[in-house]
Amino acid sequence: MQISSKEIISLIGLTSIIFLIAPTFLIVYVLSYNRRKKKHQEETMLMQKNYETELLKTQMEVQEQTLKTVAYDLHDNIGQLLSLTTITLSSINLNDSENTAGKIALIEDLTLRSIKEVKALSRLLHGEEIVSRGLKAAIEFELEWLKRSDKFRIIFDHNVTVYNIDSAKETILFRLFQEIINNIIQHAKATEININLQTITDSLRLTISDDGIGFNVDEILNRKAGMGLHNIMKRSAMINGTASIISTPLKGATITINVPYK
Amino acid sequence: MIFISVSTVSEFLCFLVALLCLYKDKAVAWKLFIPFLLLTCVVELIGIYVREFVHIPNYAIYNFYILFECVFTSYFFFYLYKAYQYKLKWLLIWVTLFAVMYIAELLYNNFGNFVSITASVMSVVFVLASLYFYYIKLKDEHFEPLVFSAPFWWVSGTLFFYFGSTVCNNFSKYLAMYEIIAYKYSVRYLIFNLLNIIMYIFWSYAFICRYRQRKSSPLLG
Repeated sequence: MQISSKEIISLIGLTSIIFLIAPTFLIVYVLSYNRRKKKHQEETMLMQKNYETELLKTQMEVQEQTLKTVAYDLHDNIGQLLSLTTITLSSINLNDSENTAGKIALIEDLTLRSIKEVKALSRLLHGEEIVSRGLKAAIEFELEWLKRSDKFRIIFDHNVTVYNIDSAKETILFRLFQEIINNIIQHAKATEININLQTITDSLRLTISDDGIGFNVDEILNRKAGMGLHNIMKRSAMINGTASIISTPLKGATITINVPYK
Repeated sequence: MIFISVSTVSEFLCFLVALLCLYKDKAVAWKLFIPFLLLTCVVELIGIYVREFVHIPNYAIYNFYILFECVFTSYFFFYLYKAYQYKLKWLLIWVTLFAVMYIAELLYNNFGNFVSITASVMSVVFVLASLYFYYIKLKDEHFEPLVFSAPFWWVSGTLFFYFGSTVCNNFSKYLAMYEIIAYKYSVRYLIFNLLNIIMYIFWSYAFICRYRQRKSSPLLG
């Protein structure tokens, strides 16, 4: 069968039209891909904004925690010391010189202890400074206060080599530590708290375990009461980390947070 | 009236848009569109004059024009790629290759025909250059509103023209021989009219985008 020149020319014309359809689709594709890129950029910006908001919230929580500690300390330690000083002062009988010397010595001791407490409080009030000294130092400082209560046996192990972690990440990690410790104080009825901080292949691992009453992790996570645990997981994920919560009723709990620092 | 055709009108209108939108532009590459489009209009008019009034083939004029077309379009593509660390040597290699092909074909034809093979190769290169531009844009993580991007619409117009003309270029000799016998109108003429309209609409829009961009960003001019 012979094809006429008319048919060939029609075919050339048709092919040219088809050749125009291809760029049209290509342009539409590039434009729609670009729109998706814009959406992705907006989502990234929103995530960044959320991260910044969460960071601010965390910083405020760290400060709030510091103020709470200050309030408790003022009431329980310094307040008691000063009350005792006042009582001792009022009980001094100037005619009883034998007892007076002993009482003055006691007042001196009480005053010195009060000064020491006030100095420690002053250090604590610089909450942000605590974190800037490094996570290990901040944890040690926080545990110092906890040890005073004598309610818990606290063991802090650390194997931290030199690492370079974003200060925002460190603040969030420190707040996570505070939150977990608060949960233990309030709910765990524990007698011993073990804290382990170590650097393992480009990541920082914080493990906190207690010998308290424990809990059913799934049950707590499904309940509204599990907001604290959800918060721990959410904040860990925010700093590209992971949080593992292991607990069995009556057998204590272990929370491990892994955060990459590279 | 013979000088008024779809091609000449679309070229002239695009030249006017370029003149209005680009005459204050600080970028030389963009500003060069004004003389380039003026040259296109002049060449088109001379082509019609030679064909209709002198009654001799006008391929020599288009053989001359293709030099400017190739150099300017290649340079503009290079200008667009420059921001993406594109090396000058590729532009020089391509222009040298084009020159060799052009001279060889002219000599082969004894200066007696249009350099259609060189034009076909040039079309393919420009199509690849346009596709490469899209590739760069897709790969670029930085978002740019392409709907208002002057380079994007210029490249799109260029892609339409050179991609759409590939078939006609490849069959140009066949069409020249048979199309008038087979049809009352030249298929090639109709297709090129359509391609010109598309390309110059896209280019005009690109110039308007460039004008808007310049107005919103004083550094551009």
